[in-house]
Amino acid sequence: MLTVYRQLLRLYPAEYREVFGDEIMTVLAEARDQNANRKVIARLRILLRESAGLVTGALRERFNTFIEMQAELSIGRFTMRNGFRFPKSTIIFMALILAGVVMAIQRGEQIAVSLPHVNPQIGPIQPVHSTLLPPIVLFLLLFYLLGFVGWAIVFALRRSGIHRLADMSGQPK
Amino acid sequence: MDSLPLTEPVLLILLSLAGQPQHGYAILKDVERMSSGRVVLSTGTLYGALRRLLDDDWIERFEEEETPRGRQAYRLTPQGSRNLQLEIDRMKHLTRLATLRVATKES
Repeated sequence: MLTVYRQLLRLYPAEYREVFGDEIMTVLAEARDQNANRKVIARLRILLRESAGLVTGALRERFNTFIEMQAELSIGRFTMRNGFRFPKSTIIFMALILAGVVMAIQRGEQIAVSLPHVNPQIGPIQPVHSTLLPPIVLFLLLFYLLGFVGWAIVFALRRSGIHRLADMSGQPK
Repeated sequence: MDSLPLTEPVLLILLSLAGQPQHGYAILKDVERMSSGRVVLSTGTLYGALRRLLDDDWIERFEEEETPRGRQAYRLTPQGSRNLQLEIDRMKHLTRLATLRVATKES
């Protein structure tokens, strides 16, 4: 029973779970203990009621989170919410991965230089990082450009939507 | 929180906290008892209502000191008490009016 509840609790937003998760589980465990001697049908009914309550509660909380996010966007200044904060661990992992890639490239260069060029059918192995750099920069620029265009479209849609809404509700622009 | 009138579950939750601070399970049982079993809240519904009441400062949350695990309990804030009183006054007025109208019709 508690396993089902615990799984359903995962439907809630993380911030909500952090505040109320343990408490809800304590209440559900207490309710389970109090109803342990009741008939199977009665316990099944309780399970269904509690499960339905958790699912609808989770939907309501998700909806509220969405509405709050909309409200934050609609004030014209984007305030980054705690839930979307860039985790510090990600920066560390990214730095580690970058260091690993750089070290691998350097090691590859050393191997390429140290190998004797004995097979005439295969050309000498050349380090490739110098040829990789321009395409990577090009790809980055392309993705930045795509991102900017996407953002501009969303921004334009939002602005026109606000104006249309103001027209509909008769409010001054 | 929605303005007055309150929904029955919210009113019962506030009435449950009017007497003394309560923790989650005690509120559930109290609501059921007060409504003679008519209103049975699920835990998810209760905590949805509690969160809204907390957001609007109608109730506050605190750790119970006497319990071993420091269980969370809830109590009314002055604003919550004031709003509950307003709702009770509104209902009293409505009941008086209804009684008066029905009595006039019967006579």
